[in-house]
Amino acid sequence: MLKHLFKLIWNKKKQHFLLMVEILFSFLIMFAVFTLAVYNYKNYQRPMGFDHENVWALSYYDKDRSGADKDSLALFYEMVKRTISHAPEVAAVSFVSNNSPFTMSMNNSVITRNNKTAQVDHFSADDDYVGVLKPVLLKGRWYGRADDGAALEPIVVNRSFETMFFPGEDPVGKTIKVGDHDARIVGVVQDMKDKGDYKPLGPGLYQRTTRSSYSWLSRMLIRIKPGAGANFEGRLYKQVAGILQDATVEIEHLDEKRVVKNNITLIPLIVFGVIAGFLILNVSLGLFGVLWYTISKRKAEIGLRRAVGATGAGISRQVVSETLVLATISLVVGLFFAVQFPLLNVFFMEESVYYTAILLALLFIYALVVVCAFYPGRQAAGIYPAVALHED
Amino acid sequence: MLKNYFKIAIAVLKRRKFFTFISLFGISFTLAILIVLTAFYDHLFSPGYPDYKRHRSLYVNSIVQEHSKHQSHNQGPPSLYFMQRFVTTLKTPEKVAISSIFGPTNTYVNNRKLVINIKYTNQAFWDVQEFRFLEGRPYSEQQIAAGEKVAVISRETRENYFGDAPAVTGRYIQTNNIQYRVIGVVDNVPKTLLYSYADMYLPYSLSATDMANKGYNGSYTAILLGRTAKDLGAMQAEYAAMISKVPLDTASFNSIQGSADTYLASFARVLGGKASGSSGVPRFIIYISIFVFLFMLLPTINLVNINTSRIMERSSEIGVRKAFGASSGTLAIQFIVENLILTFLGGLLGLLLSGVILAMVNSSRLIPNAHLTINFTVLAAFVLACLVFGLLSGVFPAWRMSRMQVVSALKAN
Repeated sequence: MLKHLFKLIWNKKKQHFLLMVEILFSFLIMFAVFTLAVYNYKNYQRPMGFDHENVWALSYYDKDRSGADKDSLALFYEMVKRTISHAPEVAAVSFVSNNSPFTMSMNNSVITRNNKTAQVDHFSADDDYVGVLKPVLLKGRWYGRADDGAALEPIVVNRSFETMFFPGEDPVGKTIKVGDHDARIVGVVQDMKDKGDYKPLGPGLYQRTTRSSYSWLSRMLIRIKPGAGANFEGRLYKQVAGILQDATVEIEHLDEKRVVKNNITLIPLIVFGVIAGFLILNVSLGLFGVLWYTISKRKAEIGLRRAVGATGAGISRQVVSETLVLATISLVVGLFFAVQFPLLNVFFMEESVYYTAILLALLFIYALVVVCAFYPGRQAAGIYPAVALHED
Repeated sequence: MLKNYFKIAIAVLKRRKFFTFISLFGISFTLAILIVLTAFYDHLFSPGYPDYKRHRSLYVNSIVQEHSKHQSHNQGPPSLYFMQRFVTTLKTPEKVAISSIFGPTNTYVNNRKLVINIKYTNQAFWDVQEFRFLEGRPYSEQQIAAGEKVAVISRETRENYFGDAPAVTGRYIQTNNIQYRVIGVVDNVPKTLLYSYADMYLPYSLSATDMANKGYNGSYTAILLGRTAKDLGAMQAEYAAMISKVPLDTASFNSIQGSADTYLASFARVLGGKASGSSGVPRFIIYISIFVFLFMLLPTINLVNINTSRIMERSSEIGVRKAFGASSGTLAIQFIVENLILTFLGGLLGLLLSGVILAMVNSSRLIPNAHLTINFTVLAAFVLACLVFGLLSGVFPAWRMSRMQVVSALKAN
């Protein structure tokens, strides 16, 4: 049966060539669409790992402070922080580095352990970070006053960091080289999706700010008690801008920043999806039209088949299977190209993303072909042998 | 003759309505999407309000500092200090506009938060960029030198801060706890214009941070305006000669690179990450061409498929005309003309459709203050796309058809 169908198609290979090219390209487009969709959906499904509701980011861009005296800076900025935390609407305040959640800035450090080297996100935050963003502690503790006199600088790492550098070990209490000095890991937190809902998780470490950090720190995260509104924001702004003379001050809401950050990922995806959808609709209409036309050309053959005993359902099945064989030929070629992506690891995505996408694209193209062939098949089944044979 | 082709084409289109629908759908949507994409490209890279002089301007938006031994690398905009010491002193440009990349600040009006993006500029900025002043005027060299707290604001800022007040020149606007006297109001600029956009423009002397910064890294961009487009080469050469002589100011880097580029190249360079040499524009154009080609490939193959089917259907007509002496060439031309008519019809629909889409994009405020239009560049691209599309999808079927034997053509039906 299959051999017979293949022969039928092979005899008309010239006529079917363009159709096959079209199916091949549709498959490749759907492969790209599903790869992006699966990749982003997988990232979206993972938990955020922190609570960004009711958190404001207060940035102050000041003139160069690197020459100023360390202790007087520390005294001044600790006073600023205390002033802000004293407001009844504020729950917690933490100084953070500029790569705070939902910003564009990145800060990386290269970490090496047991012959494994990788770039990890390097965050700086003070002891109250835990109260502001509420990260999920998996092991150990967040650094705090207890580390004041410690010989080694305390750091907290995330889950991806643990699995990358400490497979099968407990990292708490171990030392690792960060930059040019050693640091002791005191805790492990769940990975935070701080770059947006659709971003992948990666290894990261949180370093404790010290008294000398105030020369470059320029942002605070503030957790607000629910219910404090724009009224309080205006007062807070005036207060801070009054203390920090000469600095440009800005207050942003993390939930708004999250929407903006997500849109940067989503809008191109939606545009690409709409264009791909239009292309596929175009192809399916064309496929449908060509099949329909081919059936009307093959009336004599189908009439003959009916006359020697083929049932209507059989004919309809034959039309659909013919199209499926046709699609399979192009899909085999398409698979050859698609499989190169996971094999060569082109875009550093997980292999499972590509394989899921290939499977979905295959199913989609088969479904599309069946839908397009179904009506012409029904039409072919309705041909009466007497009428068809008489016509020729 | 052409009139006859036209009549036949319309008659054929009416005969098989479903096929006509598929063809027109394919053509019109493909062209609509191309037009919308061109409109975006046009908006981003063609000269427009207020940056009309792009053909004789060069743009500077970053310098790269590197150390060959320590693997350190720093790419970013130069500082006000760098611009004033090395860039505004260049001899070839007629004028050099320097301005900071806009930075946000907040202000609160009636318990409502207003984000105001501030740009610090020099006086030449107002000569290089041709802003429409709705009222007032820009600040002068003397006002900058005296450090007067004056501001030029955008129309949007006037509406948000002062409400419906007809004239606000002379009134005060407060942000960052500082009162600025408004001396001018300009029409809005879309946020996509990095070198022009801001909600509030201030003299650079008011930025305490920038005035104190004596390093090379900062947040400033420059526009070098030549007298004519011919000056571009000379300005580029002068900039390159200047940057090779810049003394190093820290031990952490041992080279400084950078260049003055045309508008498109200044962005392609940042994306490409190369400080000097090729800007990456050719590569950028190749990528775009590949994308457009791939995008048009599928609808074209589809159209060829449909056209082949349609033309085969008319084999009896072809047979009769060939039997009466029409050459393959005449027939091929007829079918190509028919195809072009169909393509132009689809194109016209596509133009209408893209008009609707652009109107929707404009009203959705996807890019605030941007007004995407079908302008002459886009229209020219559209006519060209129509022609290429019609020829691509008409040539192959016409060629197949013209090779048909008279006998088989007549017998087929």
